[in-house]
Amino acid sequence: MIQDQRKPSSWSMAWVPVGLAAVMTPAILLAAGGAGSSGGFDEVVHSIEQHYHVHATRIPFMGLISFIAGRSTHGGVRGLHVAEIEHFEGPVDGEELTALVQQHAGTGWQRMVRETSRGGVEQSLIYVRPEGDHLGMLIVERDTHEMNIVQLSMNPDKLSDEIDKHHHHADSDADRNEDKDEDKGDKSKDQDGDSD
Amino acid sequence: MKRSGVWASVLALGMAVVGIVGARGQDQLPAPSPIEKELAARANHVTEVTLDKNMLAFAAKFMKDEDDKEARDMIQNLKGVYVREYEFDKENSYTPQELEGLRNYFKTADWSPMVRERSKGEAMGTDVYVKLVNGQMEGLFVLDAEARELSLVLILGPIDADKISKLGGNFGIPKGVMKRAEKKEAGK
Repeated sequence: MIQDQRKPSSWSMAWVPVGLAAVMTPAILLAAGGAGSSGGFDEVVHSIEQHYHVHATRIPFMGLISFIAGRSTHGGVRGLHVAEIEHFEGPVDGEELTALVQQHAGTGWQRMVRETSRGGVEQSLIYVRPEGDHLGMLIVERDTHEMNIVQLSMNPDKLSDEIDKHHHHADSDADRNEDKDEDKGDKSKDQDGDSD
Repeated sequence: MKRSGVWASVLALGMAVVGIVGARGQDQLPAPSPIEKELAARANHVTEVTLDKNMLAFAAKFMKDEDDKEARDMIQNLKGVYVREYEFDKENSYTPQELEGLRNYFKTADWSPMVRERSKGEAMGTDVYVKLVNGQMEGLFVLDAEARELSLVLILGPIDADKISKLGGNFGIPKGVMKRAEKKEAGK
């Protein structure tokens, strides 16, 4: 009788795939649809792959990661897309790269920052665009041997609120530790006093 | 008679279009000067920051700290920010002619020199130009040439002369350059 109670019923077993589907569907949809709706990101990555004959590695489950990032920052960051190109060797013409990104980024993007170092070996491009109450950012960064392409949408207000919360927690933890230390100090003083 | 009327309309329309484009052009950031391309080719590190009116107004919305209030008030009314910084490996990587070319490229008829600082016999120094419209500062151009660094800052829009330094540190505008510009403006 007791053994029967411990066995999961067929009814409850049926909920497992349903639960999994409920969890995975938004993640898969975000992974597939998110990249498509972001417009420029996939096109930028694809154009770089084609132009420089390189292969970009997309981070798996980026949609899920983006979803978690959005939840954990209470909407501070969303629409996260990352692609990494390793073994990106050879010279890159900065003007050419900028034109390529500009051409495929899509509408509304404005190049805010461009940094070039060491004769063009290192390049950073930051594009921004207003996305409602969020700021869309498209970052293309080329290091000596690799290139990273990141797109995200962030709300600086929400993000700074989150950071402030963490600062607040860190400060209160530090205060608590200080109080503890002081208490310990007082106790040891008392003990010293008693021994005297 | 009819034909001349049509021509008059076309001429009027043309003048209106030229007027609109001209008015827009004054508020718009300039295209990079050809000299900049040459400097960039020689520089070890180049930073370019460009922000138009819409982006500045949008970015200003997120500056909610009380410390940023003065900067925010100024930034949300600006029409454009254009910053270029060139860092060189060697000294004297730019010529006096190039500096003169940059000055002439950016300052148009509305601009007046405010500060001109030079060391004797050197091309290095700081130039500050302001755009004055009805006695109101509507633009600031700073060209700061150091031994291995050349900074160029162009800000379009209404600027409070006493608070120029508040813009430093925002959107790639070099803090040091803006502080120097404010100091020199105050001591003028």
